[in-house]
Amino acid sequence: MDHPQTPRILAPHLQSFQHKLVRMLGKVVQLRGETAVIDAGGNVDIILNRDCHLTPNHAVEIIGKVDGNLRVKVLTATDFGTNIDFDAANAVVEATHRYREIFYDAD
Amino acid sequence: MSYSNNYETSYTSYGAGGGASSGGFIPGEGSQNSPSGRKDYTQDTLRAVTIKQMLDSPQSADEIFKIDNTPISQVTFVAQIRNISSQTTNITYKVDDGTGSMEVKLWVDSDNENAQDANKAKLVENTYCRVWGKLKSFQNKKHVGATVIRPVEDMNEISYHLLEATVVHLYFTRGPPGGQADTAAHGGQVPQITGGEYSGGQMVGYSKVAQKVFEYMRQAPQSNEGLHQHDIAANIGCEITDVAKAGDDLLAGGLIYTTVDDQTWAVLEAD
Repeated sequence: MDHPQTPRILAPHLQSFQHKLVRMLGKVVQLRGETAVIDAGGNVDIILNRDCHLTPNHAVEIIGKVDGNLRVKVLTATDFGTNIDFDAANAVVEATHRYREIFYDAD
Repeated sequence: MSYSNNYETSYTSYGAGGGASSGGFIPGEGSQNSPSGRKDYTQDTLRAVTIKQMLDSPQSADEIFKIDNTPISQVTFVAQIRNISSQTTNITYKVDDGTGSMEVKLWVDSDNENAQDANKAKLVENTYCRVWGKLKSFQNKKHVGATVIRPVEDMNEISYHLLEATVVHLYFTRGPPGGQADTAAHGGQVPQITGGEYSGGQMVGYSKVAQKVFEYMRQAPQSNEGLHQHDIAANIGCEITDVAKAGDDLLAGGLIYTTVDDQTWAVLEAD
């Protein structure tokens, strides 16, 4: 089974990645049962699945699909703990889109 | 470069001169190697890459992969483990770094199982790992033959790696930092000498004394041996130590050069 590309994005990129698979790193702001809010360069509503175990204030990396309302339906979530340098992570997102040739294919 | 040729010579004399046919570590000299198939290990590099770069890399006839037109040998990357399949001789990890996915084969080392087990227990599905290895192709399918796989414990290593891969990519596609464009962006600390006209603007970054020394050297009558720093100091009325310091800066900047000795300088004419 091949795993498709999952470009790293932040909240402002959601619009241009509608209906696509993406990878986002953010801080868990709010848990509301079936959904949650993460801060990834802005608040993002995410729709959880049964396997997600989010902890408030922890960094989490999610892989999911952006829907038409700019919410992200989570496929997998990985806890990244509390010691994440978000400046570095955000620099990676910037590099991803500025030097796309080594990160993802345009379609 | 003909390192391999030089090397061949030395090997021949070594074999002929000594009795120790198996002494020493001789790179690339395996028992089954034919002389023509020897690789040039002096060109070995370790490069940080993304999986997409490896998937995109073309392979030339001599089985060398290239990324950004540069041959690669050893590679390193950080990725998330998606699937693990253990076989008797190797463990195959399917890994994904968001830019693509790749199979990584780690050969089981029966002499050293304990050391591997410590890492192996932590290398479970969905965790991140750091891989060092070589890109290979088998039946037109690429995989990485791993030397080492270890778990990533500080998640910031993921950001670090992707930024490092970007830096290396830019190095090979745009040249090292500090090129012309970069210098201009930083206020011209290193003056770019383009013609015979040295306006004050091109001396930005040099001390007043250095500017004075340079101006005097350009105008004073002199032989092709240039001027001694004592003469310069006397004529512009500066301390000899200040002139020496100014000279060092001008030498470092490539505006002047030493002639008969270290204290005698001439202007380096751009034309």
